[in-house]
Amino acid sequence: MFKLLLTWRYLKTRFIALASIISVTLGVATLIVVNSVMSGFSNEMTSKLHGILSDVELVASGMGEIDRVDEKVAQIKSLLQDDLEAVTTVVRVPAMLNFLVHGQPRYHQIMLIGIDDQTFGDVTDFRPYLTNHFHRNGDVFRLMELGYDKELPDAGWPYRREKFRHDAYIRQELESMLQDRAKGLPPIAQNQLPVPHSPSATTDSNQEPLVNIAKLPPLPTQKPVLPTLSSDVPAGAGSEYLSDGGPSLNPSESNTWNPAPVDALAAYRERVLVAPFDPITEQRVGIIIGIGIGRLRAHDPTTGTSQNMYFIRPGDDIELTIPSAGSQPRPLLENCTVVDFYSSKMHDYDSAFAFMPLSHLQKMRGMIDPATGGATVSAIQIKLKPDANLNSARDRLRAAFPMMQYPLMVQTWRDQQAPLLSAVEMEITILNILLFMIIAVAGFGILATFFMIVVEKTKDIGILKSLGAPSSGVMSIFLGYGLSLGIVGAGAGTLIGVMFVVYINEIAALISMISGREVFDPSIYFFSSIPTLLDPMMVVAVAGGAMLIAILSSVLPALRAARLAPVEALRYE
Amino acid sequence: MKAKLVHDQVSRGTANPAHENHDVISHAPFRSPKNHSNGSVILSAHQIYKAYQAGSQQVPVLTGVSLQVRQGQFTTIVGQSGSGKSTLLHLLGTLDRPDKGEIVMNKQRIDNLPARQRDRIRNQDIGLIFQFYHLLPELNVLENTLVPYMIHYGVWNYLLQRRRLHDRAKELLEQVGLSHRLTHRPNQLSGGERQRTAIARALITQPKLLLADEPTGNLDARSGNEVLELLRQLSEHQALTVIMVTHDERIAQQSDQIIRLRDGKVVASTAEAA
Repeated sequence: MFKLLLTWRYLKTRFIALASIISVTLGVATLIVVNSVMSGFSNEMTSKLHGILSDVELVASGMGEIDRVDEKVAQIKSLLQDDLEAVTTVVRVPAMLNFLVHGQPRYHQIMLIGIDDQTFGDVTDFRPYLTNHFHRNGDVFRLMELGYDKELPDAGWPYRREKFRHDAYIRQELESMLQDRAKGLPPIAQNQLPVPHSPSATTDSNQEPLVNIAKLPPLPTQKPVLPTLSSDVPAGAGSEYLSDGGPSLNPSESNTWNPAPVDALAAYRERVLVAPFDPITEQRVGIIIGIGIGRLRAHDPTTGTSQNMYFIRPGDDIELTIPSAGSQPRPLLENCTVVDFYSSKMHDYDSAFAFMPLSHLQKMRGMIDPATGGATVSAIQIKLKPDANLNSARDRLRAAFPMMQYPLMVQTWRDQQAPLLSAVEMEITILNILLFMIIAVAGFGILATFFMIVVEKTKDIGILKSLGAPSSGVMSIFLGYGLSLGIVGAGAGTLIGVMFVVYINEIAALISMISGREVFDPSIYFFSSIPTLLDPMMVVAVAGGAMLIAILSSVLPALRAARLAPVEALRYE
Repeated sequence: MKAKLVHDQVSRGTANPAHENHDVISHAPFRSPKNHSNGSVILSAHQIYKAYQAGSQQVPVLTGVSLQVRQGQFTTIVGQSGSGKSTLLHLLGTLDRPDKGEIVMNKQRIDNLPARQRDRIRNQDIGLIFQFYHLLPELNVLENTLVPYMIHYGVWNYLLQRRRLHDRAKELLEQVGLSHRLTHRPNQLSGGERQRTAIARALITQPKLLLADEPTGNLDARSGNEVLELLRQLSEHQALTVIMVTHDERIAQQSDQIIRLRDGKVVASTAEAA
């Protein structure tokens, strides 16, 4: 009984105990918050990765292709049966994408993925990441009139019509200029040239007024008579070159347009004045590009805010360069209409992926198996039922398609992302070790505090022993003291930590309100709010560990107290 | 109040019938020596040796001390400072172990018992009073008095009998004249009050033996007399065996037995002479 009473009294009367409690509290709270946020991030990231990748993939090893696709799909279906949710086939090919920005070509290396838009969305989280909400459950490769993200005020058909009408107007002006020149009329003064004022030059923060269509001259009722073409210019290749402009940081800059020299104009005309189809009413083959390809994010360090600048938007045409199939690939050129952005908020994917219809890509590249005459693919992607065992499905597939016989690799999404996943895991582990050292520091604080208290209480220990208190009893006073510090500190730390995790977004908002800086910019990260994952086991382990450290660090002083000879202790003045 | 104390002792069956119903109002001289040779020997020491280690040197403190204390006797141990009287008291009180020799209490050898049993004896059978009171500063008077009980009983047992134990402590504190100080901390008390608290604490488990190490050494004359008076009453009316270390010859002269120590040896013992 005396142990409890004295432990309590010592706790109440020593303010130094408060310091130990606070250090334990802070350590525990930090550990819980950091752990929750870290595992929240990694959890969100893996689930996102998992969504973007398929559960299991049969991928052609090397640049080879998978033939007899239907046969294999049927085989997979019969093999996995009830575990199977959906199957799709894709073609993946590295490609180059280019478009003009400020009259300068801009190139992007991309991973072009040919997808079957009927089944691809069943296997991976593809549709939710499209910015046009009509695309989330319709034909994804059609340019839409409406439904684009509010981030993109000018996109889709309205933008495309306006842009190409504008282009047509400029083309017409150029045409008449060249005709005048041919007739020997004096050259037009610079300032009389039409100002190329493309809507694509707008940024979302700096809206330039759109060209007023009403003011433009009426469109020609028939296609203009075109001069002879050089045959190597691909059909329709020039149309987007007229869009010129591009985003302009300085609005006045786009108004001072230096006309090219006449010879260049002639060459320009050759490329431009080709319109095999009407871009105002028709679209080319649809392509969905990662939003990171068409957008530049400018972060302003002084205001802490970010701005988006779009080089390209749905409705624009771009040019693709794709290697053809076969052992000696040749570059193939293809013009496509950007119909939507793919925005998974995973930067690696958003800046590399572009999607186009599988059949079109197969046809273009000539992906035909000479033996069967069927189209080939580069991967078969499989989604399993939620409760199916990933690894056993993979192993069954591996057994069915042994690498010795098939040029195929069977991989789960975890296999594919193993380096990233293990890196994240290691990061969390190391961080935990470091943070536990914080608690260990608190433990040493307790150790020092307790030694002081034992020295201070030497006489009391002697008194207790002279009154018949056993050594174990004296020891348990200090052990109990350490445990109490641990319980109070860990309890308060757990409470603070859990509250912090639960209200982390509110706290972040408050901090950014006070400091005027955005603590968590959702557009930088993958997530709209700070993700957290509060694992009860982790909380218990952290709190338990802190208590253990508190007890361990009170063992030495307690042992010292217990070993004090009563006579010595009493003599101590 | 005194009757109550006596009653307690009677109920334990240790009271000396000769002192029953004897009203105690006696002041200086402190006490008239009495012959207690008819009482049974409650504590005896045989050829005790004790040396302390001072650096690399052995400093002998006690070199062959023998003594006998009988039930109900008031014994004083006198001697120069450094003669080993406090050490002797500590050995008798099981706070320390002799290097050689035996200490027998109630026909049981106690110097070589395991630590646990010695703790128990100290808690139950021996009351200790010190010159510097040695109260726990974090506890109030009542709690200090109850500490031996708290040590004796586990949490659950203590809480179950809390009421009874508190009543007993309050009673005892009333007897030593501290009923108005129950919730005071030791640092709010005078020296005499502190020593009386220590006496109440020493007596709460109704020990057979009270060991006092210069209980008046740190008190002014009046408080000292009060404390001595209290001890005298206890000895006389409750057959409590008291062994007191003192250097006050006046006090020693009034005790039943005087043990004089010099250089770690007993030079004279009045009881043996008697």
